[in-house]
Amino acid sequence: MASGTATDTKPMKPEDVLRVIAAVRGRAICVPTMTTAPAWRSIAPDDLSVGCVGFMGGASSMGLGLALARPDRRVIVLDGDGSLLMQLGSLATNAGAAPRNFMHLLFKNGVYHTSGAQGIPGGLDVDFVMMAKGAGYRVVTMIDDLEDFKRRLPELLTADGPVFVELHTGLAEQTPMTARGGVAFPQQVENLRNALLKPRAR
Amino acid sequence: MPESIPATLVIDTLKDLFREARAAHAKEVAEPPLHSHLGWILSVPDTHQKTVLAALDKEESIRVVTCATEDEATAIGAGLYMGGEPVVLMIQHAGLYASINTLRGVAMDGRVPMFYMIGLLSREKDKDPRESRHSMVRYCEPLLDTFGVPHARLEGPNDVHLISEYYRLSRERRGPAAVLVGLETS
Repeated sequence: MASGTATDTKPMKPEDVLRVIAAVRGRAICVPTMTTAPAWRSIAPDDLSVGCVGFMGGASSMGLGLALARPDRRVIVLDGDGSLLMQLGSLATNAGAAPRNFMHLLFKNGVYHTSGAQGIPGGLDVDFVMMAKGAGYRVVTMIDDLEDFKRRLPELLTADGPVFVELHTGLAEQTPMTARGGVAFPQQVENLRNALLKPRAR
Repeated sequence: MPESIPATLVIDTLKDLFREARAAHAKEVAEPPLHSHLGWILSVPDTHQKTVLAALDKEESIRVVTCATEDEATAIGAGLYMGGEPVVLMIQHAGLYASINTLRGVAMDGRVPMFYMIGLLSREKDKDPRESRHSMVRYCEPLLDTFGVPHARLEGPNDVHLISEYYRLSRERRGPAAVLVGLETS
């Protein structure tokens, strides 16, 4: 299938997708947002992640900054379709900056799950694969099957980026509204900075 | 009020600022730097600062990323900060209005140092900006005051020291700080 439009395949569970990522990410920095955030903090509770909650649409931009700053590490953005629509121009900015260590995973479920599952404009018919390709991402693909994702992820993780993958997923079990808490954003920023920049011994 | 601010003066100031930031970083962090350039400019094109942006295109020691929106610029700036890179945002007052939620969420609530150079397009030389007949100019300082963002006016060559001062201030207070570029660079 060339485009990223909806299929009849049963969507993947976001938690299953996140577990696959956690198993192979290595030292990659991860940037979850909205409905990927609660599950990610229990699946991968480490200091190499920073969540984007409170400035919806900013996950891939924050990931881009990290990727530019740290070319020695892979950066994986765990984005949502509603979130990406809020900063759609970021596709062009990410592709224009063209960091080879940048991977943009889009969890496509067709709704704003966190605010009550209202449909996004265009619903599941919005073709983000075409958009990312048109913006200039180096590698662009769609995956709608968990076994296929498991098989292809290791190669995608080593491909020259920017890489964009549209993942056809269902709704997560939790959202930032139903599973509040976790490490506060300023502390996540501090923890990641400390993890990346080892202080000089005193 | 002078006619303009030379672009070369702004760029030399940015270079000094970035060198100072790199030196401070080297004292704190054990690992060697990953980059050979001095620092980063994140820009959404601004009419007042267009000669600086044009000159930066030819400047190899400073990397420029042109962003589609000011929201992106602020979030990219946060990523660069977490990765230890010095960064300055160059935007226009309209972009400040457009991206105020991201400034709030990232720089204020997230306590991420973020330094903005904000062009005041249409700022009249014979009027205080707060009395401008253009709402874009008139509301800029009150908006920054409302959000508690420290700011200063860059209105001539003698004011360029404010760039470094307010950059440092953003680091010290771990939040946003801004200089308002009140006349065109040349």
